[in-house]
Amino acid sequence: MSKTVQAIQTASVGNKQKRAYSLGAFRILIVEDYPFMADLMSTMLREFGVGNIIQASSGTEGKEMISLFNSDENARNKIDIVLLDWLMPEGDGLDLLRWIRGHKKDSIKFLPSVLCSAYTSEAVVSAGRDNGANEVLVKPVSAQKLASRLLYVIDKPRPFLRAPGFFGPDRRRKSDSYSGVERRITKPEDVKQFNERI
Amino acid sequence: MSESDQSSEAVEIYHRVNRLKLKTGAGLHDGPGFIDPNAIVRADTIIQKKQSLYPKMVEESLNRLEDSWAQFKAAGSEGARREAIERIYHTSNHIKDLASTFNYELMQHFALSLREFAERIDPERKEHQVIVQAHLDVMRIVYQENIKDHGGAKAEELKLIVAKAIEKYS
Repeated sequence: MSKTVQAIQTASVGNKQKRAYSLGAFRILIVEDYPFMADLMSTMLREFGVGNIIQASSGTEGKEMISLFNSDENARNKIDIVLLDWLMPEGDGLDLLRWIRGHKKDSIKFLPSVLCSAYTSEAVVSAGRDNGANEVLVKPVSAQKLASRLLYVIDKPRPFLRAPGFFGPDRRRKSDSYSGVERRITKPEDVKQFNERI
Repeated sequence: MSESDQSSEAVEIYHRVNRLKLKTGAGLHDGPGFIDPNAIVRADTIIQKKQSLYPKMVEESLNRLEDSWAQFKAAGSEGARREAIERIYHTSNHIKDLASTFNYELMQHFALSLREFAERIDPERKEHQVIVQAHLDVMRIVYQENIKDHGGAKAEELKLIVAKAIEKYS
């Protein structure tokens, strides 16, 4: 029995009390310039039950798609998650990410975005986070890794932070506790909290 | 949220309603959920079946690389040479992604090496062209002889050819 099947079966036993997510109402945008890889990701998402999958072959086309679907704040068929490749001609993943986070409209600037990259170095993951990625998906993409990143975005959304020079999901994990001498302390009066209501 | 658009030195934290969770059919206060494990196995199985497409996809990409290289050599301006290098950069990146997905380690190694070299190549230096040519030659051999892994005498020999070219002509 392969390790993957074993791991999934173990997870399955552990999931008895959990809810199987239905992703049929989700619309996910894949921004990837290599059609074969985009189709591969589409196939995986379709198997997961994702109802609407759209593809863009460049950062520029990705912007057009996002503008088309998400410009109307009240639209019901908005893109829910963007999976974007780091390296692409005509607008790379970081450029698209900056555009999303810098957008005026809430329906775009808060869009959950997963950056896909073959680079695994800490510097690259940091660059993704510093530009507002919710998660980084390291290539080669497998079904298990893709599912895991989607679950992170759904189950562990980070609050968004606006600080001088940054807007995006909070880059700190809750479990990270740093108490060194160079810790930057923000006074409570310098933090404004915004709670969205349904 | 008009305040969000005002520039300020203060830190602002936005606690958003988790609409994705609601869309899955779960409640906001429900614990974590999961994606059907059988769907994950099915997805992986489909991906593995697509491995049969690998030779055709790699050959197409290698042809594209060689076409771009021919265009580079025939180009009459630095701009045209830069454009050809840009195409080589992205095509080698595609080959790397493809090879890594299906565990063709040696092809992944050379495709990554070529992409990295394309980032720093000086198109006007003849010596640098030798390095690109060395990559294209060994990648064609790896494909034709269907060499998958890093190990093995042939793989070591090919890696040495590229390493020597880089050392001598960088």
